[in-house]
Amino acid sequence: MRGKVRKLSPPSERQATGGRMQVPLRPEIDTGTGATSGERARAMIEIASVSKRFETSGRKSHLALSDINLTVNDGAFVSILGPSGCGKSTLLYIVGGFVAPSEGVARMKGAAITGPGPDRGPVFQEFALFPWKTVLGNVMYGLRQQGVKRTEAEAQSLRLIEMVGLKGFEHFYPKELSGGMKQRVAIARTLAYRPSVLLMDEPFGALDAHTRTRLQNDLLNIWERDRKTVLFVTHSVEEAVFLSDKVVVMTRAPGRIKQIVDIDLPRPRIRAELLLDSHYQKYVVDIERMIDDGRDDAEHS
Amino acid sequence: MSTRRLTTVLMGALPILFVLAIWQALCSFGYAPPSLLPPPGKVFLRLAQQLGNVGFLDDILATLIRLFAGFLIAVVLGVGIGLAAAVVPAINAVVRPLVQVLAPLPKVALYPALIILFGFDHASKITLVTLDALFPILLSTYYGASMVEQKLVWSALAAGTPRWQILFKVIAPAALPSILTGCRIGLVISCIVVFLAEMISSTDGLGHLLVGAARTFQTVDMFVPLITISLLGLMLNGLLYGLRKYLLRGFPEV
Amino acid sequence: MTSARNIVSKLSPLLACLGLLALWQVAALWLDTESFPTAWHALQTVPQVLGDPEQLLNILDSIRRMVIGFSLAVLIAIPLGLAMGRSARVSAFFNPLLMMIYPVPKAALMPVIMLWLGVGDASKTLVIFLGVSLPVIYHSFQGAKAVEEKMLWSGAAMGLSGLQRMIRIVLPAALPEILTGCRTGLVLALITMVTSEMIARQSGAGNILFNAMDMAQYDTVFAMIIIIGALGIVLDAAFDKLRWRLVKWAEPHQEILLGAS
Repeated sequence: MRGKVRKLSPPSERQATGGRMQVPLRPEIDTGTGATSGERARAMIEIASVSKRFETSGRKSHLALSDINLTVNDGAFVSILGPSGCGKSTLLYIVGGFVAPSEGVARMKGAAITGPGPDRGPVFQEFALFPWKTVLGNVMYGLRQQGVKRTEAEAQSLRLIEMVGLKGFEHFYPKELSGGMKQRVAIARTLAYRPSVLLMDEPFGALDAHTRTRLQNDLLNIWERDRKTVLFVTHSVEEAVFLSDKVVVMTRAPGRIKQIVDIDLPRPRIRAELLLDSHYQKYVVDIERMIDDGRDDAEHS
Repeated sequence: MSTRRLTTVLMGALPILFVLAIWQALCSFGYAPPSLLPPPGKVFLRLAQQLGNVGFLDDILATLIRLFAGFLIAVVLGVGIGLAAAVVPAINAVVRPLVQVLAPLPKVALYPALIILFGFDHASKITLVTLDALFPILLSTYYGASMVEQKLVWSALAAGTPRWQILFKVIAPAALPSILTGCRIGLVISCIVVFLAEMISSTDGLGHLLVGAARTFQTVDMFVPLITISLLGLMLNGLLYGLRKYLLRGFPEV
Repeated sequence: MTSARNIVSKLSPLLACLGLLALWQVAALWLDTESFPTAWHALQTVPQVLGDPEQLLNILDSIRRMVIGFSLAVLIAIPLGLAMGRSARVSAFFNPLLMMIYPVPKAALMPVIMLWLGVGDASKTLVIFLGVSLPVIYHSFQGAKAVEEKMLWSGAAMGLSGLQRMIRIVLPAALPEILTGCRTGLVLALITMVTSEMIARQSGAGNILFNAMDMAQYDTVFAMIIIIGALGIVLDAAFDKLRWRLVKWAEPHQEILLGAS
């Protein structure tokens, strides 16, 4: 029962139950054979016939998601790709427990998701850093919230800050950092409390092209180390193919899954090689075509 | 950069000096009889003298006590109710129409009622100050707290913050810039209101000094409390500005 | 469903008024002193006060001074505020002076101004003018400062002169903010009006209030409070409606009413 998604109890209570509590949710690194052979791997997230309807003004309502079924295996890097307004972020928020589905159920390790929890760490396009805390304060926040002692939390956070390449900026405030640096802090803040799943909501969408590629590379490097499960929302086809094991292509209004594409490219992926790789190029072109078809359908109907 | 700053300061000092110069000129060229407009030198000299006078300092103290008591009560109530209304829909439903009605109400008109209820002493004046300073603080707290970025709350929830702590850990600090803006407005209003209340009915305080001097046509003594309350207002404003700068060091400039 | 909710939200201020009056009623019954009449009693006295021609004239006089002071202040403060918002030099010139004047209680200048201009209309109108000007200048200044530079560039590219840009671009763009300032100013005008009359004690609504108190006519005191309070609430609501009409296009944004002067 320990791994179940549950309402959080205050830190004091958690400490009482298990000494200094660390969330025991690190994914087992048994997917070394490559995450694409994930048939036998354990399901981390299951989304079963999920729909989401938003009540808009008055009688009208808007169907954002319609009958979504998706399983994400432990250690997989899965991208959700689609045009803006296809509900892909909403799907991510449902997994995060921030938004409740109108129908269906989302499960995490077999337990229904009822609210946010530190086993699923979000990274938002808007960074959402606490402006009143320094870089170190932001990264430490989750650890302190888990009841980790200050000195220990500080040491762990400093290591993480170094890992995301921000050594020397520990005592800066978010306003003093560039967009790319802010997103590095946000990633470190989320990694700090060791979620089993990273939920990334167009994390690089607000960054310039150069910074974006650098962060993509760094994210892959971090991911190669511990192979956390990642659910990654984006509208960039190249980004999705470059990063993922699986790309979930969605259609617009109502958001449905059009197709799930397995990306069978070797890892570790090196950008300079991959861009010249004909398989990579074919994936990109095929998926782009797929999205265009969807658009035509929408226009005809 | 620094020379530009210097010119800005000089430009700003200019009209103040200009006003002082006109004031002095009006007096020294005999356009204004000293009984109507005493020369500035005389006023400031008198102020300096008065600052050594225990009676005068007592009056300042009386004014300050009322000012701070009223203002602090307003801060506690305003921030508390504002946050509660932003977070709890049921409280919002009650507070919102009440504020809509009470905010534009001219609170000074209530002063006679407050005197009848609480007497002529501190209590009625403190209540008036609280009533006047409350609404700007309450409103800006409410708006600040209801505009907190949703994803900030989500990030904290995901990091394991219990829901009941979100108010203190995320919403209150995120609304701080707005809360402090409200406090600043509330403080200026407190200065103004305490002075007026003392003018209308009091036996001590700066406002009372002004009225007393006006009754006996002591023009120099009329200007002294006026200038004192303005300087007090400026000083308190400066203090709050410093506090704001320190507390909001992480926030982007507004 | 939506319309029902609409009606409730429209009626809620009225409900709040009734609730406050009920609270007053209960408190008065509970305290049971002669000096604190019940809400019902005070409300009954309102027509008596307004029915007395002398007192009605006094109140109308007050309102006239308020309207004149308010209008003059708006006419002068808006252009000044806009100029300050668009020119760093103008703002550097006026800002510190205004900062100095800001915490001075405008109604407190009443004794001094009375010394110069006598106890008549002129002093009271001037005090109201001073009280209203500052928030209007401040908000016009903020509004003009926030106008997007590129909008002015487009205007210049279309061949608008400096003054034209001010009137055709800056003024409408800053209008929501200006009207917020005017709304604050309106409440301030009423407050300053009452206060100046309380201090000068010669005529007007504030004078009636304190005369009644001196003569222990507590019903009249509380009736006057109701009248002045209602005037404030009605003026504010009416102005808000007007503002809503004028700047329908603007995004709703926060408003902080400045309370007193």
